[in-house]
Amino acid sequence: MKITALTISLVSLVCYCLTVSMVRLLADDGAPSRQDSTVHEVTYKADIQPLLQAKCGNCHGEKTRKADLNLTTAASTARGGESGPGIVPGVPSESLLYEKIYNGEMPPEDQGRLSKAEISLVERWILSGAMMGDDQEMGTVSSTPNQHDVVPIMLRRCAACHGRHQQLAGLDLRNKAGMLKGGKSGPAIVPGKPEESLLIKRVHAGEMPPLERLVEVSVKPIEPTEVETLVKWIAAGAPEMEVEPDVATTRGDPLVSDEDRDFWAFRSPQPVRVPEIQNQPRIRNEIDAFIFLKLEASGLAFNAEADRLTLIRRATFDLIGLPPEPAAVAAFLADDDPRAYESLIDRLLDSPRYGERWGRYWLDLAGYADSEGKREQDLPRPYAWRFRDYVIRSFNEDKPFDRFLLEQIAGDELADYENASEITPEIYDNLVATGFLRMTPDGSWANITGYVPDRIDVMADEIDVLGSAVMGLTLKCARCHTHKFDPIPHRDYYRLVDIFKGAYDEYAWLKPDIHPGIGPVSQDVIGGRLLPFVTTPERQAWERHEAKIDADLAAAKAKSEPEDRIRGLEAQRQSQPRVQALWDRGDPSPTYIYRRGDALSPGGLVGPGVPSVLTDGRTPFVVSPPWPGAKQTGRRLAFARWLIQPDHPLTARVQVNHIWKHHFGRGIVKTPGNFGKAGMPPTHPELLDWLAREFVQHGWSLKAMHRLMMTSSTYRQSSVVPQRLGEFDPLNSLYSRMPMVRLDAEALYDSLLLVAGRLDGTPFGPADSVQTRADGLVTPTGTERGWRRLIYVQQLRKRLATHLESFDFPQMNPNCIERRDSMVAPQALHLMNNGMVFELAENFATRVLQDAGADTLKQIEWVYQIGLSRPPNDQEKQIGLETLNQLQTDWRNQLGVNEHPTASTLQLKSLTAYCHAIMNSASFLFVD
Amino acid sequence: MSLQYEIHRQCCQPMTRRSLFQSVSGGLCGAALAQLLGSSGLAAENSPPSNLEARLPHVEPRAKSVIHLFMNGGPSQMDLFDPKPELNAHHGEKYFDRIAGEVENPQAAGALMRSQYKFAQHGQCGMWMSDALPNLSRQVDDIAMIRSMFTTSITHEPAIYIIQSGKMSPGRPTLGSWAVYGLGSECRDLPAYIVLDDPLGLPVNGVENWDAGFLSPMFQGTRFRSSGAPVLNLRPDVERPTEVVKVERKLLSRLDELHQAQRPGQSILAARIASYELAARMQISASDALDLSQETQSTLDLYGIGREPTDSYGRRCLMARRLVERGVRFVQLFVNGNLWDHHTGLLSGLKSCCERTDLPIAGLLRDLKQRGLFDSTLVAWGSEFGRLPIAQLPPDKDDRNAGRDHNKNAFSVWLAGAGIQGGVTHGSTDELGLNAVEDRVSVPDWHATMLHLLGLDHNQLFVLDNGLKEKLTGVVEARVVKEILK
Repeated sequence: MKITALTISLVSLVCYCLTVSMVRLLADDGAPSRQDSTVHEVTYKADIQPLLQAKCGNCHGEKTRKADLNLTTAASTARGGESGPGIVPGVPSESLLYEKIYNGEMPPEDQGRLSKAEISLVERWILSGAMMGDDQEMGTVSSTPNQHDVVPIMLRRCAACHGRHQQLAGLDLRNKAGMLKGGKSGPAIVPGKPEESLLIKRVHAGEMPPLERLVEVSVKPIEPTEVETLVKWIAAGAPEMEVEPDVATTRGDPLVSDEDRDFWAFRSPQPVRVPEIQNQPRIRNEIDAFIFLKLEASGLAFNAEADRLTLIRRATFDLIGLPPEPAAVAAFLADDDPRAYESLIDRLLDSPRYGERWGRYWLDLAGYADSEGKREQDLPRPYAWRFRDYVIRSFNEDKPFDRFLLEQIAGDELADYENASEITPEIYDNLVATGFLRMTPDGSWANITGYVPDRIDVMADEIDVLGSAVMGLTLKCARCHTHKFDPIPHRDYYRLVDIFKGAYDEYAWLKPDIHPGIGPVSQDVIGGRLLPFVTTPERQAWERHEAKIDADLAAAKAKSEPEDRIRGLEAQRQSQPRVQALWDRGDPSPTYIYRRGDALSPGGLVGPGVPSVLTDGRTPFVVSPPWPGAKQTGRRLAFARWLIQPDHPLTARVQVNHIWKHHFGRGIVKTPGNFGKAGMPPTHPELLDWLAREFVQHGWSLKAMHRLMMTSSTYRQSSVVPQRLGEFDPLNSLYSRMPMVRLDAEALYDSLLLVAGRLDGTPFGPADSVQTRADGLVTPTGTERGWRRLIYVQQLRKRLATHLESFDFPQMNPNCIERRDSMVAPQALHLMNNGMVFELAENFATRVLQDAGADTLKQIEWVYQIGLSRPPNDQEKQIGLETLNQLQTDWRNQLGVNEHPTASTLQLKSLTAYCHAIMNSASFLFVD
Repeated sequence: MSLQYEIHRQCCQPMTRRSLFQSVSGGLCGAALAQLLGSSGLAAENSPPSNLEARLPHVEPRAKSVIHLFMNGGPSQMDLFDPKPELNAHHGEKYFDRIAGEVENPQAAGALMRSQYKFAQHGQCGMWMSDALPNLSRQVDDIAMIRSMFTTSITHEPAIYIIQSGKMSPGRPTLGSWAVYGLGSECRDLPAYIVLDDPLGLPVNGVENWDAGFLSPMFQGTRFRSSGAPVLNLRPDVERPTEVVKVERKLLSRLDELHQAQRPGQSILAARIASYELAARMQISASDALDLSQETQSTLDLYGIGREPTDSYGRRCLMARRLVERGVRFVQLFVNGNLWDHHTGLLSGLKSCCERTDLPIAGLLRDLKQRGLFDSTLVAWGSEFGRLPIAQLPPDKDDRNAGRDHNKNAFSVWLAGAGIQGGVTHGSTDELGLNAVEDRVSVPDWHATMLHLLGLDHNQLFVLDNGLKEKLTGVVEARVVKEILK
């Protein structure tokens, strides 16, 4: 091969494939060669249609159209399904239909394969040009391109400079009208005359798209086949075909049947009768009735009720993620009101610490992080914390969950923020809430990782977050093909994509903001992800601050004050307050189905819509502008309103299942992110439906759900495993006891701080930084007030606090539906050897000495009250006394010779070791 | 990510408990170890491997251990392993327009650029290698060269995700994690998957390079530092008298025993106690494994330890041998940052990379051979992609200081040791070294080959995620590169 014949890999690959297929053709003795044209001409009508009808008709008929493939007409066979065109006339090796039957992939084994002769018949048909019969050629297929063949090419190759964001030379190439209108140099196309069309001339001359500048706008060079399509289209007079986007109509949906809709999770939660159980004093509420019914059927009953010390520790960790303070324990023990426990739950629900605990669970579902990830620079997201604060405040206010979702999915379409005279806290919240859909890892700020496929990955991650966290569906599976288990056609996925197009447009992409001084500056950063709409008071405060600095600077300069005074003033400037948000910009690009998920293989045009299986299949998805004259599409608003309908099959069910899981250790549906057919069915379906309806009836109140679940007898059971229960309900799938649980990363860290008296309770605001030691240890940076709760510490994807990493804090890729709780040696090493834990142990000991004085027994009692929320038993006291005596002796021997330690030094050092052991103990780490 | 696991019946049968426990000595009883290793008494029968017990492979394994020498940055194949006389002939010709879509930095793109290194054939097999690698050149009869690797991204981060974990995004289990997940551990005092990173800095993608993704964290790589304490938090940040530490330890174990006795049937408590015991043992064994003062001077010399510029990499190579000797399944060595990423200054830059690593790697191969470890240890050398035949020019356009841009369509890797047929050169690129053309080897093919040598079938090694078989090799059909196997 000559150098000049060398081409890029794509071409060589094609050559390679062709060679292989030729070899294959020759090797197959059943296959005729091209010379065999004396045999009768194979036509669709006479030969192929009957064959496909018999062998493939069951799944790929007019009605069934599995994988969106209809093999009943020549045209639809050639058009193919969601994997791409079925036939390339003349080239069997590139024809999917032939590939599938040749490889034996299709028909499936149990449906009966095609014989060798039949396969060869199909091959001959394709080889000879895929004739229809009646002397017609494959008219409709290889025919003239229309605007829908051309628009995707223009979007891919040209729209970055001649599209929505910029019209260089005044040219917009996104549609035919724009091409005819042209730019500075005249019309881009002359219909019927490709050789006179500027567009083609520029492309042929290699001037456009300009090769050396393509990376700047994350565009790949135009392909010869694309140029060919353009030429053909223009030559044919640039025809436009009226194609209605594929959307739900009042006609039945052909791809999803009513039988599909009959699956439990796709029907609305059903009214359920609560089991009536007589003479059971342990039945405190409806939950108990449902649980008891199943226990009884297995010959079991509720486990013993946990004692009050256990209950207060469990409930406190459960709702606020911290151990109860000794005073709270004493008050609860002394409260002889029969409703003392209920009052305790109410008090905890009123605590501002509640939102910090339960908000964290939501942040896991959203995939919260303070940096972009993906690239080495791991660019910070300096305003992500506003979303974190919004979530915490929403939980504390018990914002109805339907409203909470509405704001997060479509907050920008709830009020006209751009023209508002004042940014109220409500408008601010609406915008901050949309940060929910801005959380996934994102490297698209850089040109080289910001190509269309990279952008589509970001959108896919957001849809994955929405699907797994809110809808309990593995929607992501339908990105490349129809879902393998659930009735979610390929097309439904792209209808969903179209809902988000007003905000996520892969052909008019808003890149993440790059902040000065961080990473290489990418060129051509358009737009950004930040809005200036903080509340009016916050903005005014900032403006006043800046105005004062301006004034001071002017004065200083006027008086020719020294340079460092000027620099000092400059340093006091604050960056403009901003909100990380997602907003609809109107004028979205059209959405085409991407066959196999590949943007280079656009299929049919779709419009906005929701998964058909969650509707009756006969109701169109109605979208209207959010307010008169709005540029916004209103699509996400319509979607969010659909999602929060009271009888939505999934929304309430999925959410109560999350709440249940956090209280009882395991969901009623064990796979909280998948309520579909490949997920686990609910262990207590009636209970799940009853809870879902109850949730909606109580105004989507989370606090009402906590109250209901936590005041049940089911929740108040002991976690001790009696012999009998271990045998009959080994996995606790009947909820015959409460699980003993390990503290998660946050609860453990926050508890260590609280017990040591070093917990800085300041809520909200920018995240606290972390510092990295030379050996890689990452520790939150403290202040003189101590450390704040872990939820307020920066979560950088590539520099996570070591404590978080050791104790199973998830990577948000893109989010986390369920955390693990592992038990590995690095956790022990961390708690045993880490310097911060040592420091906290000493703080703990100091605190105990202050409260308890010099009496050793009293010290031990205080250590238990503070650290473990209970008094020590006799054995523990004994062990404590022996140990502290021994420690004092050892320290005296160590220090005695040179340092003559005082009694209080010895006491502090000994007690520190004792407290360190308590902080390492199983009693500290586990909640009964 | 929520995963619904199922065990694949052919996969990963546990070894007999006896074979595992006969090696246990000291204060740890078998039951506690079993707990630590994760075989919970209450666990369901059909759960996937959730422990580090040694497991039977799918097919007869050729390798017990792997040493992966990861050369992050993208070494230039046409300057090391893949001589291109045609490139010399066409030196200086313009070529950019044909490959514009494959170039990361188009504005800096120069003309075709010949290699300034001299190539020669070496060993009995006559394998080609450039004079940048004088030491490896003497070992060519032990290694199998693949010249026809290709990948799918021209950017470091995604390309490294692909080579480590099969997919272009973070959060997936790496090759080492899959190996340990499939086979368990042969070593009770050390992690099964150990990473020796460069003291000069983490590689691109940092700790994500040894991630367990959606597998349990027990399968993730543990970073051993080659200086100071080998493991994070291995030694206390605050030094205290031995007696005090002893008393505190004893206190802790008495309290935990008491706590456990009150809670029968909670298997996790035994696991926790065992995790503290393992932590204590690791403090001794990890330090011992990395203690190079136990080695003779001639061994140190073999690896170039004690002299520059080979000392640092030599240490890590020798540590890798010591870890493999102790039964560690997967050892991965990194160099700092983007060491091999020669966008400019190719001549001097590549030379310095080779000077740092060539002698230690050749020493490692020879040492493994002389200790009888070569037949059970698979050594793999490679990177995330290769480099282009055209020059990349520095801002001043001085072509004496030119480099090469990234190339996803061709790069070279080599394998040696267990199950590998030495002296083989597999696959080829076109005349310019731009594209792999003959016997192309994809990243999934390379993964499948590595797993195969460990006795694992890439199609049988999977976890079920909501019905989808999540595999290292993904949905694309992968092929074991049989041509380089013995």
